[in-house]
Amino acid sequence: MLPATAAALAVLAALLAWPVPALLARAGWPPRDPLVALVCWQALGLAGGLSIIGALLVHGLAPWGASLPEALGAVLTGRPAGTPVRGDHWTTLTLAGVLATELLGVLLLSWVRTARTRRRHRELLELVVQPAALPDARLLEHPAPVAFCIPGARPLLVLSSGMVAELDDAALAAVVAHERAHLREHHHLYLLPFVAWEAALPVLPAAARAHAAVRTLVEMRADDVALASLPGPAPRRTLARAIVVAAGGAGGAGVPSGALAVTGSAVGDRVVRLLQPPAPLPGWARALALLSAGLLLLVPTALLLLPAL
Amino acid sequence: MASLGDLERAVMDRLWSADGPLAATELRDGLAGRGLALTTVHTVLSRLEQKGFVVHDEGRPRRFRARGTREDHAAELMHEVLGQAGDRQAVLARFVGGVDPDEARLLRALLAAAGPGEPTA
Repeated sequence: MLPATAAALAVLAALLAWPVPALLARAGWPPRDPLVALVCWQALGLAGGLSIIGALLVHGLAPWGASLPEALGAVLTGRPAGTPVRGDHWTTLTLAGVLATELLGVLLLSWVRTARTRRRHRELLELVVQPAALPDARLLEHPAPVAFCIPGARPLLVLSSGMVAELDDAALAAVVAHERAHLREHHHLYLLPFVAWEAALPVLPAAARAHAAVRTLVEMRADDVALASLPGPAPRRTLARAIVVAAGGAGGAGVPSGALAVTGSAVGDRVVRLLQPPAPLPGWARALALLSAGLLLLVPTALLLLPAL
Repeated sequence: MASLGDLERAVMDRLWSADGPLAATELRDGLAGRGLALTTVHTVLSRLEQKGFVVHDEGRPRRFRARGTREDHAAELMHEVLGQAGDRQAVLARFVGGVDPDEARLLRALLAAAGPGEPTA
């Protein structure tokens, strides 16, 4: 007989593996408040991992006790199992171990690999770039309009000469403000678990969907932070112009072909969002979203720690 | 005291502008304005070798040359930045990823259609 706790955790894990991320990815509100949506995604990822590993662990340890604290106590003190230990208990225990190791291992590996690639990029950069007018920015001789930042202990902001040539001062300031927002709010840390878990669970469509959603949301968040610091009469338009130039190079306005409302890609969503800003999320909706995120973490934690039902 | 990064850049500039491979003593003399000890030059060179930017021959004394031009290194970096796969998003945050020409045209039209004023919520 499956303990009720294990069953409840399994149901939660199943919900978090597919329907919940699908709903959140398709929801209309995240662009209205990217930061709250990012918190929800982090909670969702953490709660998903907790509930699937928890479900396997509670079931596997069921012969030693009905709840996780009780069973763990029994195992640690060497108390024998109360009921016969069957094959499925060993199987779920093994699965729990494998899954936990894989998720944490991939996270660690991702961390090490990105740190190594960043170091390499920084070495190359230090060699080939010139200091720009800004202390933390570097200028890279290249015709393509490119801007990026390398996060880390010594963050670097890089602008290509192509970007500088294409943009006026206001648009350039918008680009720099956007990249600085990434660095200041450590957006790479929001992304890291989703990058790692997409690599760990390629069969789970939710992992890829979550990664894509989080990637778009950190860009929107950086846009919002940049807007707040931009002077000038029309910061939204300035930033949108910078995005369009960086996305496709400059050039005359092309012929509008078909409907413009939905461009489909993340870059298009950003431009539309800047030019036709959605109303900000009302306070009660923010509170509701944050409360849901809190509950999402609280429920599996409570199921694991409280004595079994 | 200049940082190691500055010295590395100065040494690479020397190697890039030289006609052929240079010995450490020649590098020191070329950077005379900095008043470097020979050991410092060797330290900088071995760091650059570890990073794969410099190679030396087996002559006596050893002579050092840059492995690639400045443009080669810039191209390598841009290749990684422009061709970044999904997992590179965690490595660096690029302002805008590439879009296809059709979409670029749509975006420009969208911007033009929005007019010069500031949109409001």
